[in-house]
Amino acid sequence: MVQAAEPPGDPEGDRARRRPVAVDPDPAQNEAAQTEALSRRAVALARHYQGKIETIAKVPVRSQHDFALWYTPGIAAVSRAIEADPDASFDLTGRWNTIAIVTDGSRLLGLGDLGPEAALPVMEGKALLFKTLGGVDAVPLPVRVPSREALVETVERIAPGFGAINLEDIASPKCFYVLEELTRRLPIPVWHDDQLGTAAATIAGLLNALELTGRSIRTTRTVLLGAGAANVATARLLRAMGHDPHRLTVVDHKGILTAERDDVDELMVRNPWKYRLALETDGGGRTGGLDAALAEADVLLAASTPVPGTVRPEWVRSMARGPIVFALANPIPEIWPATALEAGAAIVATGRSDFPNQVNNSLIFPAVFRGVLDARARSINDEIVLAAARELAAQTRARGLAPDHLLPTMEETAVFPHVAAAVAARAVVLGLARHRLSHDEFLARAEERMRRPAALARVLTDAGLIPPMPDEPAGPAPGRR
Amino acid sequence: MTEHHTAPPSDSPSMPINLRPATAADVPALVPLLVRLKRLNEEFDPLLKVRPDVDARAEEILVQDIHNPSSLVLAAVGVGHEADKIVGVVRAQIRERPFYAPVREGVIQDIYLLPLYRRRGVGEYLLAEATARLQAKGAELVTAEFPTQNEIATRFYGKRGFRPITSLHARRL
Repeated sequence: MVQAAEPPGDPEGDRARRRPVAVDPDPAQNEAAQTEALSRRAVALARHYQGKIETIAKVPVRSQHDFALWYTPGIAAVSRAIEADPDASFDLTGRWNTIAIVTDGSRLLGLGDLGPEAALPVMEGKALLFKTLGGVDAVPLPVRVPSREALVETVERIAPGFGAINLEDIASPKCFYVLEELTRRLPIPVWHDDQLGTAAATIAGLLNALELTGRSIRTTRTVLLGAGAANVATARLLRAMGHDPHRLTVVDHKGILTAERDDVDELMVRNPWKYRLALETDGGGRTGGLDAALAEADVLLAASTPVPGTVRPEWVRSMARGPIVFALANPIPEIWPATALEAGAAIVATGRSDFPNQVNNSLIFPAVFRGVLDARARSINDEIVLAAARELAAQTRARGLAPDHLLPTMEETAVFPHVAAAVAARAVVLGLARHRLSHDEFLARAEERMRRPAALARVLTDAGLIPPMPDEPAGPAPGRR
Repeated sequence: MTEHHTAPPSDSPSMPINLRPATAADVPALVPLLVRLKRLNEEFDPLLKVRPDVDARAEEILVQDIHNPSSLVLAAVGVGHEADKIVGVVRAQIRERPFYAPVREGVIQDIYLLPLYRRRGVGEYLLAEATARLQAKGAELVTAEFPTQNEIATRFYGKRGFRPITSLHARRL
């Protein structure tokens, strides 16, 4: 494991630490140096490989004569069949396993609006994750659109070629509108990972943290720090699971979000989703800042802009006994895990792979897409999102739940087909599936389809068709950050 | 409002508020509500930016209107644990139309309700009450003024039979 970072001036030092979370003497400097090296290498590799995915044929082409089957004239009969029944496109083409990764580039990573061209390398990377982890063929599709309505319309027009749509890196609150509209209009699942993926992974971790600390979601007092895409979705899912809205306190850069806060009328116009949250929670009965929100709270779910020291240890000390702290800002968590643990946190999770308990979208989205594609689902709703979260939590419990094992790591790939099967089976129960198979049939399919990309990559690498990294000796890949 | 409109009783039992004419003593509580509405209007157009002295002006206008027989200022007062708290305001006035018939126009200038009192039918109740009271003052038609870009208001009034009849177009000099 990579050394965990810890801010300088940590008062207690190593003595009080309950778990072996290693200390880095100067995290900021180390972080900057690592990021710099990684950035240089990423640009060099991008130049070398010039893209991360390509399409390959999956049917035999023995001679030019075979094109009479795969293309005209033979293919006309296939088109006729689909004309008679458009849903046959899922059986007679690759639509069943093909998705679009659509972005307008308006909130690229944490960087802001860099435009659609700059979004392409990120979308290619996402397509690589979809393929590698989920066995899903994903097409990167950055689009230049003048308005949110145009974005919706564009996706609606390209939907006939795809089995599902993944929206990516779209600014809040535009992303709420786009997801809602497309979910309403399209006959295929639409997903926005920054909302649903993050929320589902968070909920999965939270369910296990509640279990470990003997809490019930119905009586838990929770603070959500940040009211962007992820936490607005998380709040909605929490309420769907029975969390009392009056025990839910949302805090943003202006403090606790209450119904009478000065900017609430503005939110009504600009961000109705956050406005509804303000009305439903009304600060969980509290006013003031994050310190006031955290006093006696059981849970902190922080998904805010990464500013180190956003959450002070004394505020964690003021929380209920044995609190749960999710500090999910990347790359710098709102509070360093060791600091939170010293301040009494029973369980800490972050967004980083170098600490225990990484809350990571990649635990969710490949499996959700595998599931909805295998069920040929018409839609994704919150019940499906929750089914994914619950299954991820259950799979972790089955593999040994512990304060530093709330969620599977990305190496525990055996979990993913189970999440996919749970999603597909839920789509059947909800009447959203075109393919109504049993849970075990879905599981078998998911396992097979999620294994395929690794087998393909192995063959292509061994044949030299996927060239080795130019800047390192051939051999097994090194550990990732 | 159409002729088949009937005003509900003024203390409707299902409402989480009581509505009554405002008095001079209510003005300090009404000013922040009126100012919140004007600040909301800022969202819709830069030419609706509030003046630095908006609070003082709001106070003056409210005092004037409360004493003016052709004006109407209503205070929505909470019930239960928020009894006595003023949670909403309606400001309206009767105007004479010099060129058109019907002649007496009841103009709803401002309706503001604190966020927690919204989405419960209170706004509709305020509109119906204001309409009935304007009618009692002789209004033959009721109109509402709000920023053109305020789609929420457009929908609210549109659903209740209002349609746009004149427009105010502006250009900064």
